[in-house]
Amino acid sequence: MDGVYYEKGWLGLVYTILVCTFILYNIARAKSNRTLFIRRIPGLNAIDDSIGRATEMGKPVLMVPGIGGLNAISVQALQIFAYVTKTAAKFANPIRLCCLDPAVYTVAQEIIRDVYQAEGVPENYDPDSVRFISDRQFAFAAGVSGIILREKTAAAFLMGEFFAESLILAETLNSIGAIQVASSTEITQTPFFVAACDYVLIGDEFYAASAYLSRQPVLVGSLVGQDWCKLLIAASVLVGMGVNLVDGFKRVPKEEGATELRFQTKDERMITKFLNPEKPEWKPAGTPDATNATGGGE
Amino acid sequence: MIPFLAQVEAPEYNMWNAKPGTPQLWMAIAIAMVVGFAIMVAMLYAPTRMRKPIASAAIFLAGLFWVLVFLFPQPIDTQVKVEQRPPGFVQGISFWLADAIPVVGTFANILTAFILGLGVFSLVRIHLLRVTKKQRDWPFSVVLLVSIVAMAFFGYADWYSRLGPNAQKIEESWPLTAYGKDLLFDGMLQVMEAAMFSLIAFFILSAAYRAFRIRSVEATILLAAAMIAMLSLMGAVVVGWDGWIEQVTNKDPFLTNFTLSSVSGFIRDNLQTPGIRAIDFGIGLGALAMGLRLWLSLERAGAN
Repeated sequence: MDGVYYEKGWLGLVYTILVCTFILYNIARAKSNRTLFIRRIPGLNAIDDSIGRATEMGKPVLMVPGIGGLNAISVQALQIFAYVTKTAAKFANPIRLCCLDPAVYTVAQEIIRDVYQAEGVPENYDPDSVRFISDRQFAFAAGVSGIILREKTAAAFLMGEFFAESLILAETLNSIGAIQVASSTEITQTPFFVAACDYVLIGDEFYAASAYLSRQPVLVGSLVGQDWCKLLIAASVLVGMGVNLVDGFKRVPKEEGATELRFQTKDERMITKFLNPEKPEWKPAGTPDATNATGGGE
Repeated sequence: MIPFLAQVEAPEYNMWNAKPGTPQLWMAIAIAMVVGFAIMVAMLYAPTRMRKPIASAAIFLAGLFWVLVFLFPQPIDTQVKVEQRPPGFVQGISFWLADAIPVVGTFANILTAFILGLGVFSLVRIHLLRVTKKQRDWPFSVVLLVSIVAMAFFGYADWYSRLGPNAQKIEESWPLTAYGKDLLFDGMLQVMEAAMFSLIAFFILSAAYRAFRIRSVEATILLAAAMIAMLSLMGAVVVGWDGWIEQVTNKDPFLTNFTLSSVSGFIRDNLQTPGIRAIDFGIGLGALAMGLRLWLSLERAGAN
């Protein structure tokens, strides 16, 4: 089996298992201990205020789960929107959920319908409140901007994978004075949201949102597990720095046999070799000099 | 799956495909269709309380495949012929997984194709209702419906005229359908999308004006960093400032750190990049935790 992890190295495997273990262990811990702490996130506290404002104005609440496909990010966005819809349903406030991806649209329809049923007001569910706009980026941006301007949405939640359309939506919302709570997992779009929106969830606050809002033990435990993983990464960075420092400055042989004390080059260092295993030589069975089955080992 | 249905030659035959036109291939297609319909019927008629376990099992199996692809040792060369593959259990599984990746990946495309129909149905229904009830701005809905039909017709007709059984060579003739498709796609859609994209320049200006107003200490720091970053991208300013610094300080090793390119480089490498990486770690861990919860059906969507 040696040598078969030449692409990722053993470290990636070990880290993945450790991270999964931390998360699952903390989920189990949270189920038995419900006093785990989550710090205050202002953007999420603003959700109820935003919906309250929309209710007072009698205007709809807009939600956009980004322009990505059906993946963990859009499902997380829909989880947050389920909470927003739950609050809106209590006040019989209209909602608009605009989708670019048809798969996200289908899942969103189911989730929003379930929320209205769970709140005991299935008759208030409007199938047209969840809309597929277009599967092209700027046609989608134009369509959503049109809805914003025509219906004068009072509050808007832009959460998920956003790209160049982020600022078009945020600025259109700003032009009609809507309260905006935004979050993007795309690091290049976060500054645009910071510049244009009232509240922004940065980085993993987006993933913390559902735990913060619902306080479900599974989600809270998962969040604490993520924090453990961050500590693990921080510790790894420190250990890596130490190893690199100690390993980097040592006596190495000179060409004529003597040794010298100098910094090793990047390729000579132990940590470089550890993190970048060499791809073994391998030839198909039956060809001259064919090595063993798994790739010849080291 | 696509090679199955399209009856095209695959680069290498394995258990996931077969030669075009062979009974083996038709048998595989028939079995796949029967199994697919059986699953659909089972889901439709299963008791409500059983649907969740069935869905959870399907999600787990689908996730397990990709987990195995990530964790299981991978073949060093996936293009090697079947008869030349090394024997053994580990090797067999690793080649089986590698062969299955394009097939399993295609499942998502097929599902998306089906679901796209649902999306278009929703769009058409909303706008047809708007037209029939003569709601506000209903003429725009007419434009949208006509556009959908026209784009679908010319798009398919153009594809058929170029790639269908009686395909014409574009060098020999330029059919009417190609004119129609070019007008709709290149002449209208692309141009309108470019117009939407170009609006971003003006939106950046208005957003930056609001963000960079000096209202607090944080906003002031943001303004200063942004000014340095912007100026460092202006060639004339960089040449002027850096040249002036070098001239005044007589290329003093310490004071040359205050050239515009050095300061902006410091901000980029020591403040911006670590911040971005830290945020990326958080996002990656969040996505992994979310994926894990979905895979193990621990997530309860919509049940906040």
